[in-house]
Amino acid sequence: MTFWQRVKPLRVRVLALLAVVGPGIITANVDNDAGGITTYSVSGAHYGYSLLWMMPLIAVALIIVQEMSARLGVVTGKGLADLIRESMGVRMTAIIIGLVLVANLTNTISEFAGVAASMEIFGVSKFISVPLAAVLVWVLIVKASYKWVERIFLVASALYLAYVASGILARPPWPEVTRAFVTPEFHFDAGYVTLAVTIVGTTIAPWMQFYQQASIVDKGLKVVDYGYERIDVIVGSVFAVFVAAFITIACAATLHTNGVQIETAKDAALALGPLAGPYASTLFALGLLNASVFSAAILPLSTAYLVCEAFGWEAGVDRNLREAPVFFGLYTAFIAVGAAIILLPIKSLVQTMLVSQTLNGILLPVILLVMLRLVNDHRLMGRFVNGRVLNSVTAVIVAALIALTAILVVTTVFPGALGGG
Amino acid sequence: MAYVSELLGRPVVEVNGQRIGRLVDFVASGHTIIPHPKIVAIVVKCPRANLIVPTTDLAVLFAPAIALTRAAGGIVPFQPEEHDLYLARDVLDKQIIDMNGVRVVRVNDLELTRVNDHYYVSNVDIGSLGLLRRLGVPKAAQRLAGRLGRGWLPGIVPWSDVELLPGGQPMRLKVPSDKIAELHPADLAEILSDLSRAESNQLLESLDMETLADTLEEVEPDFQASLVETMTDEKVADVLEEMEPDEAADLLAELPQDRSRELLKLMEREGADDVRRLLAYPDDTAGSIMTTAYVAVRPEQTADQIIATLRKTADKAETIYYVYVTEPDERLVGVFSLRELILAQPETQVSEFMERRLVTVDLLDRQDDVAQSVAKYDLLAVPVVDEEGRLHGIVTADDALDKIIPTAWKKRIPRLYH
Repeated sequence: MTFWQRVKPLRVRVLALLAVVGPGIITANVDNDAGGITTYSVSGAHYGYSLLWMMPLIAVALIIVQEMSARLGVVTGKGLADLIRESMGVRMTAIIIGLVLVANLTNTISEFAGVAASMEIFGVSKFISVPLAAVLVWVLIVKASYKWVERIFLVASALYLAYVASGILARPPWPEVTRAFVTPEFHFDAGYVTLAVTIVGTTIAPWMQFYQQASIVDKGLKVVDYGYERIDVIVGSVFAVFVAAFITIACAATLHTNGVQIETAKDAALALGPLAGPYASTLFALGLLNASVFSAAILPLSTAYLVCEAFGWEAGVDRNLREAPVFFGLYTAFIAVGAAIILLPIKSLVQTMLVSQTLNGILLPVILLVMLRLVNDHRLMGRFVNGRVLNSVTAVIVAALIALTAILVVTTVFPGALGGG
Repeated sequence: MAYVSELLGRPVVEVNGQRIGRLVDFVASGHTIIPHPKIVAIVVKCPRANLIVPTTDLAVLFAPAIALTRAAGGIVPFQPEEHDLYLARDVLDKQIIDMNGVRVVRVNDLELTRVNDHYYVSNVDIGSLGLLRRLGVPKAAQRLAGRLGRGWLPGIVPWSDVELLPGGQPMRLKVPSDKIAELHPADLAEILSDLSRAESNQLLESLDMETLADTLEEVEPDFQASLVETMTDEKVADVLEEMEPDEAADLLAELPQDRSRELLKLMEREGADDVRRLLAYPDDTAGSIMTTAYVAVRPEQTADQIIATLRKTADKAETIYYVYVTEPDERLVGVFSLRELILAQPETQVSEFMERRLVTVDLLDRQDDVAQSVAKYDLLAVPVVDEEGRLHGIVTADDALDKIIPTAWKKRIPRLYH
């Protein structure tokens, strides 16, 4: 065989991989949205390296969840909302979609908070930046070619690597960091537990499952592509957690060691100091702005699609208010309400972003249970149902999450009850 | 009459009043003279296993408790056949095609009607009232609907007007192609745009070649390209041959180069040559939207000779309303309409009644200019000539206007993320 003959199968495979790649990597990058960046920054700044042990576990959980959602999409060719409606009837669908709506709305609010926070670093008042962003996002949804928006976003996501560089340049004590990765520690105080739930919620946000599955279905991926899609999902998830971990490390090494608490985005920006020096704020603001605007466009759109999909209402960005009232109304309302709430006098934009991610974490077990039920349905999945190992592992994750949420409630309502401080 | 959603979950009692389980599904059969499925059995969830009870053993169905005519032990379970449909499992909450409104909708509820001791599925509820009924608030729904007025249509569609999506369900009641193939290709294209990729492929698979070509022609070229992605080259080549040459050229232009080369090779010589010629012209020129399927005759021919020719060749032409008159060297010298042809005396030569003042466009004229000519002179089609006046093709009015109608009016691909 000539060299070219030997390389050709590889080339074909690489091209096939590139053609399929997308949903996993994009979803992972969207993972590091305004809420994400804030959560990881706060984790590092307030608790140093002590929450890093969650990262490998969360990475595994993320891969499992994203893979299930990808498998559901590839095998059934239907979106998650569609499957929920077909398998669970109207009442359950209404409840679940209702919860998702609330969570997604708070996430949208969080994205606009990110816009406001990042522009405040440049000295632009939120009363200018947020309405402008809202209009921009609305126009993006209605007019722009999604492909181009996605590409710009992906390119700009390279900004996240700044955190990796910063984390290394800050010269953290690597032995301690490594130990923190593998040594679980747990504190029963409300702040710590809340942050733990928040970290889970921001890394494995329920809306990401809907988005990724819809994205896969839309791409028309088939079972034969599934091998490549798995790679896409795994690489994406690992990358997302990798960046998340480095955001935490960078903040821990720069902010925590100097006792800086994150009150505003500007505080969080200092974490990029080792890399960018005086430009740390600008770099951070740009990254946050990019993440916030893109997610602020995706969330309302994704929500509107999944609601209309579940209840059989007309959907499509080319339809106007008369043709697709619920669809149009939903995403417009999401953007309007999301932006409006940020314009209210809010003490802390940072807190707003954190709360929305905590809600994600609380909602996640519900979505996981739903997915477990769907992915074990033989009529839907054929031979692609979950194996026993995967089911057990997922059940453990669900149990752990529910336990975390329970502890969260207890420690918030009865502080000190579990011996924390 | 009753709704399936109301009946599901009701207790099922045997003849002595003892409750044996809950109603969880209906089995319907398509073996009826009327286009409404007949309920042949009900599925009862009993503590130990599900029991499928034939409707002959039912005393009453539309009642708070469903009574049987005999004891549970005496029931011979119904054996479902291959084409029987389980209403709750296979139809409720699934997507179907509403042939009336020509769109893809979701089944929110099913209406059952009793006729002469038999139960049939009469209507499908696809509206929001059905949703509210499922959520358990039917009365509130009625009041709300009254208040909101026409905005909330009841959304009841007779079963005869719907079609299950092909392929998705293992059981089918009817062969899909007869109802679906009767739809106008433009309507088919509209439905296609509502379906997911997998479902559109299945729908296309069920169409015959001619309908398939007509439907594809109604769809934007980039959407066409994604639809044929999964088809075999041989099938695509056949479709291309069925399509009008200008449409085929548009589609080929959207496909990756090596694939379109392969397809051109697979097409029959005549069709491929036509398409190749059209592909040679740059986008946005008259050459790229023209078709070569026109009728041309010689000036010496007589009216009745031409009518005889038309009878043989009309099938292949895009339009025969205008017939073009050319010299042997292909130069366009005149044109006449079908009306003039029919009104002329049979022995009259064409050169006597043809119109010599010609409106033409050049091969490289811009599409906007072509559309303007069509509009200005009220033409159904305009001939495309080169600098020497030789006829190369015609642009029909619908194609000319198609390119300039604002995109907002046209069917857009509602795909989310690509």
